[in-house]
Amino acid sequence: MIDGTTDTEYRIERLRHRLAHGDSAELGLHIEARANAVAVYGTVPDSECRDEILRAIEEELAGLPTRIDVMVASAHAEPRVEEL
Amino acid sequence: MTIRIAAVGDIHLGTGSQGTLRPMLASLQDCADVLLLAGDLTRHGTIDEALVVADELTDVPVPVVAVLGNHDYHGDRPQEIAALLAQRGVHVLEGSSVVLEVGGRRLGVAGVKGFGGGFAGRALEAFGEPELKVFAHKSAASAHGLRSALHQVATAGCDVRIALTHYSPVPDTLAGEPLEIYPFLGSYLLAQAIDEIGADLAVHGHAHSGSEQGMTNGGVRVRNVAQPLIRRSFVLFHLNGEQQDSNGRGEHAPESQPEQQEAVYQASV
Repeated sequence: MIDGTTDTEYRIERLRHRLAHGDSAELGLHIEARANAVAVYGTVPDSECRDEILRAIEEELAGLPTRIDVMVASAHAEPRVEEL
Repeated sequence: MTIRIAAVGDIHLGTGSQGTLRPMLASLQDCADVLLLAGDLTRHGTIDEALVVADELTDVPVPVVAVLGNHDYHGDRPQEIAALLAQRGVHVLEGSSVVLEVGGRRLGVAGVKGFGGGFAGRALEAFGEPELKVFAHKSAASAHGLRSALHQVATAGCDVRIALTHYSPVPDTLAGEPLEIYPFLGSYLLAQAIDEIGADLAVHGHAHSGSEQGMTNGGVRVRNVAQPLIRRSFVLFHLNGEQQDSNGRGEHAPESQPEQQEAVYQASV
């Protein structure tokens, strides 16, 4: 019998699969069940990717509490120098 | 003389990314002698995306050396992508090397995409089903390609030697990623190749949630430059041109020439 927990895990995997094969080709996000919610966090290349991901989360995880922290990689910060 | 190396990986340009990379590279001329790209230049490995990458890298004021990443292979056209980038002057390495003259010093870059397979004590063995053996053999072949390229760089008498990969040679720079996916993020065989031949620095991408700093068993510094991790256009490494073997022992490089030379050639393809 599939209960709420297993259903959540399958839905997480469906979301992961959708993101991997979508426009953003995103494989690097953390998507994990935590307590009674799903946490989604990580960094993506641009705001369009983030928007796509947020749409996918809303559709695939509808009805589940979510904790979302998806950042856009900043390419404008000053380069850091390491002396080797 | 210090050699200034800019590096970034996992820029993941899509068909709508025109104009996003160029401004990031505008400052390169003032701060770097070379730009290293550690793979995953595209999102899906399509020719359309590769054209965007090629346009963004055209006329970059410093030599650009790249390896492809797993995303660049997803469209099953990696050779075409590499050729397209090469037409725009990018040195795309796969088991090969390039030697650059920088202010009288010789910078050698050995590159390979790399592959998974895991790390010592938890690595995949070429045993069992054909599919598994293919995976393990691919991992070994990739490391052999890196070994061969590093040997080319060593015999060319380079003052500074860089190993450039997409996959990680060490687990250190994967800290932050789930342990369960480490076998898909790199292989200890890459580090073994680096330690056997020697390098001054190993640079990789692939692990967006990893850590920046690591080291091979032989003491070669490893840096994860995936852009989601470094969160800036690129990182800069200043190397003083002191050659080191895999045990970290150094030899001083020859005196630099007063005039700066930028002669570029392929040690082998």
